[in-house]
Amino acid sequence: MGNAQTNPYGSANLSGAAGHAILRRRGPLVIWWTILRISLEERLVYRGDFALGTLMRFLPLVTQVFLWGAIFDAVGAATGQPTVAGYHYGEMVAYYLLTQISRAFSSMPGLASGIALQIRNGEIKKFLVQPVDLVGFLLLGRIAHKLVYYVVAVGPFALVFFLCRGFFSGWPEPTILLACIASLVMSFLLGFFLEATLGMLGFWFLEVSSLLFVYMLFSFFFSGHMFPIDMLPGVWATLVRSTPLQYLAYFPAAVFLGKIQGADLVWGLSVQLGWVLFFIVASRVTFYLGVKRYSGFGG
Amino acid sequence: MAIIEIEGLAKSYPAAFPRRSAILIILSLMAIIEIEGLAKSYRVYQKQEGLLASVKGLFRRAYRDVEALRGIDLRVESGEFVAFLGPNGAGKTTTLKLLSGVINPTRGTARVMGHIPWRRENAYRRRFALVMGQKNQLWWDLPAQESFRLHQQIYCIEPAQFERRRDELVDLLGVGQLLAQPVRELSLGERMKMELIAALLHSPEVLFLDEPTIGLDVVAQHKIQQFLRYYQQQRKMTVLLTSHYMKDVAALCRRVVIIAQGQMMYDGSLTGIIDRFSSHKIITLVFPGDQVPKGLSQFGDVLEEQAPKVKLRVDRQVIADSLAAILARHTIEDVSVEDPPLEEVIAEMFSLASEQAGAAVVKSPV
Amino acid sequence: MHDKLQPRAGVQRVHPSYLRVFLTFARNSLVRDMTFRSNFIIECVSSLSWMAMNLGYYLLIFQFTPTIGQDSGWGKYEFFAFLATTLFVNSLVQAFFMPNAEEFSELIRTGGLDFALLKPIDTQFLVSLQKIDWSSLSNFLFAAGLLAFSLFNLTYWPTLVQIVLYPLYLACGVAILYSLMIALAATSVWLGRNQTLYEFWFYITNFSRYPMDIYQGTIGTPLRWFFTFIIPLLIVVNVPAQLMAQPLETQSWPLAIFTLFAAVGCLWGSRVIFSRAMLSYRSASS
Repeated sequence: MGNAQTNPYGSANLSGAAGHAILRRRGPLVIWWTILRISLEERLVYRGDFALGTLMRFLPLVTQVFLWGAIFDAVGAATGQPTVAGYHYGEMVAYYLLTQISRAFSSMPGLASGIALQIRNGEIKKFLVQPVDLVGFLLLGRIAHKLVYYVVAVGPFALVFFLCRGFFSGWPEPTILLACIASLVMSFLLGFFLEATLGMLGFWFLEVSSLLFVYMLFSFFFSGHMFPIDMLPGVWATLVRSTPLQYLAYFPAAVFLGKIQGADLVWGLSVQLGWVLFFIVASRVTFYLGVKRYSGFGG
Repeated sequence: MAIIEIEGLAKSYPAAFPRRSAILIILSLMAIIEIEGLAKSYRVYQKQEGLLASVKGLFRRAYRDVEALRGIDLRVESGEFVAFLGPNGAGKTTTLKLLSGVINPTRGTARVMGHIPWRRENAYRRRFALVMGQKNQLWWDLPAQESFRLHQQIYCIEPAQFERRRDELVDLLGVGQLLAQPVRELSLGERMKMELIAALLHSPEVLFLDEPTIGLDVVAQHKIQQFLRYYQQQRKMTVLLTSHYMKDVAALCRRVVIIAQGQMMYDGSLTGIIDRFSSHKIITLVFPGDQVPKGLSQFGDVLEEQAPKVKLRVDRQVIADSLAAILARHTIEDVSVEDPPLEEVIAEMFSLASEQAGAAVVKSPV
Repeated sequence: MHDKLQPRAGVQRVHPSYLRVFLTFARNSLVRDMTFRSNFIIECVSSLSWMAMNLGYYLLIFQFTPTIGQDSGWGKYEFFAFLATTLFVNSLVQAFFMPNAEEFSELIRTGGLDFALLKPIDTQFLVSLQKIDWSSLSNFLFAAGLLAFSLFNLTYWPTLVQIVLYPLYLACGVAILYSLMIALAATSVWLGRNQTLYEFWFYITNFSRYPMDIYQGTIGTPLRWFFTFIIPLLIVVNVPAQLMAQPLETQSWPLAIFTLFAAVGCLWGSRVIFSRAMLSYRSASS
């Protein structure tokens, strides 16, 4: 159930010794290329499984499609107007499909727990003695992994969207599409820095898995992954909208569907950017403070 | 012979030997383990991880056959303590697994106490035990005594008997204070002792031991050897043991079976191995003064030359002639003739066996 | 040998008492769970909060619609009774069989199954029930509360027949899920380690979590037939839930009778697959 969202691409494997040797010897561009190439090779070995796994991830959506079909039937019969929170059936299904894209950008399996584990088993020391920036290094590895993931997943995604094209009412305007892409890129950055910050909590707490479970729970329901968060009534909607979680799934999908336009869109993108900047700083600060505390205790 | 004698007795004294008990005695004097032509080959798939690869593999599989056991014959009498020696992958563990019914053979038959092991009858499974040094069957997070109680129920051991045996075994192995500690907190040696207790609680008549002392320190090894020797003698259990430690074998077993490349190479006493397989003896010569004469290498390989002492490896068949020739030509202060160390002989034999097997593979046009 | 020569009080029992062995499994698992008490509590709280969140989601849906499906009879409280049934079945499967099925394929991979095969007790019984995850039963209690609450709010009260048959059909549901799970795990003998198979399990059982009437139309109807008659996942929750939450109707009897056969058939099938797997077991060397 909860753990259905299992790890499609492992944690940062490249943080090993080989990665460091590369980092020390070569220039930044070569490093980037090397990390990318290693990731590609590593991942492409399992491309078949990987593609199949991506396809399987759409299976729960099938149930959702039928569930909402039944709900819209009932709503239509009862009120004569088949909409739920301003969504009609096609839009609702399109929404669920689009959140899959958002999650493909924003989900960071194994990132926070990986950092916490490195802190606990002392591997983090490498980053304290070597002139390598932990956050930057992890970001690089994650970008590489994501790129590989897109290369493989684009097939299954295209297939599913093609089969479901009937639920969409055509492509949005170019500006909306651009805004959506910008929001997706920021959702990647937000997901990364948010989880990195969570991982840094490992400096203070030995066991972070229960904390991460709480985060997972909230993010699953309030990012919009489970339902469009504009369905929420009154004070709940205000509460959920004031968290950064909505930018992980709901926001990019809603932008694509044209639910957010004009001034609201500009404001939304600015707030998302604000959250990204906030968590960039937060991850740096928590890392800095954590290292200080760590060295204070003598490791 | 024993059977004939008893039959004779039964015939002469029908009253003292009712027919049934005579048959019972005959049965108990028959070999407790009988193996004929037992062979096991594995089909090794070039397996790949993952669903898609596996599904593909269902339709088109690349595989090769590995013969773990190429047909062995063996009879073990009740109360014997037999060691299986052999290099890794020789088929020792496969034999034990076949005899415990964990896997099915490709060919051949085996009977243990009259049962065919791989039928996995409860009646059979209650009468033997298998201990593996590399795997543990006790619950990792629980104290050993909880696992023992589970055994009591699975093996239907009467409570009084269970307690008596458990106390006796715990006492013999000296692990009384550790019973209430979770198994994961025990040392390797302590854990092995607990595994042995668990295996012996139902008082098996046949015990299979697969490298029971692997990875243990000398003290624990010794303790377990002592225990096994004592317990086997007391209970008259039949024990089959595989081990890499010659000390285990030397301490416990009169009979040794050597398996290499899935075939039986030898069946007999430990010392008999040297007589049969060692092609050389070692002659140690001590010369007077600090000089070692030249030309010794014509008698055999010079293994070591530390004046005034020389060690020569001499072919067994010419040992008497060579010794006579050396004594005739040189003045010698001291001489000794020894067999090479057992480990060396066995190692030599193993490498010979693998060479032969390699040659066989080359010859056959596969 | 020693003991064999001694006179015995009674005849040696051929079969161990399965109930007593099971109770010892349960007791041992509880002892283990209690040694990691904080972990146990965290597990309970996590799964309960997961359930609470799910409940919230369905509450939200019923803000917008009176029923799931037009005239389907699945109103808010009927659906909550359905949800409680899902929880009953899933918590039982998760408590008794899930940890064992997971361990089973691990045992096949590592060769640890050897010991299970040595024991003078039915191997499938031993492998299926060794470990019990008590924390999963917290959801069972939650489900009991939810069912009581839903029934209290329903406009009708189930008859005695319904109340008596409900546990029977829950057991059928558990039996079907168990059979599918153990059969899936047993395939590790041929397919090797299959992490993907487990994910597949989660995704596939997802279909059973909603009333089967929602699967309609050109894709939905074949899907419903497939998951009712070929892989009987849909009847796992639907039949007991319908029995409890909906008035008894004669037209639902055929499916109810089919469920009994399906449960027995699945158990038999799992037995066949399990035995085949044991014949092919190769016992990995350590």
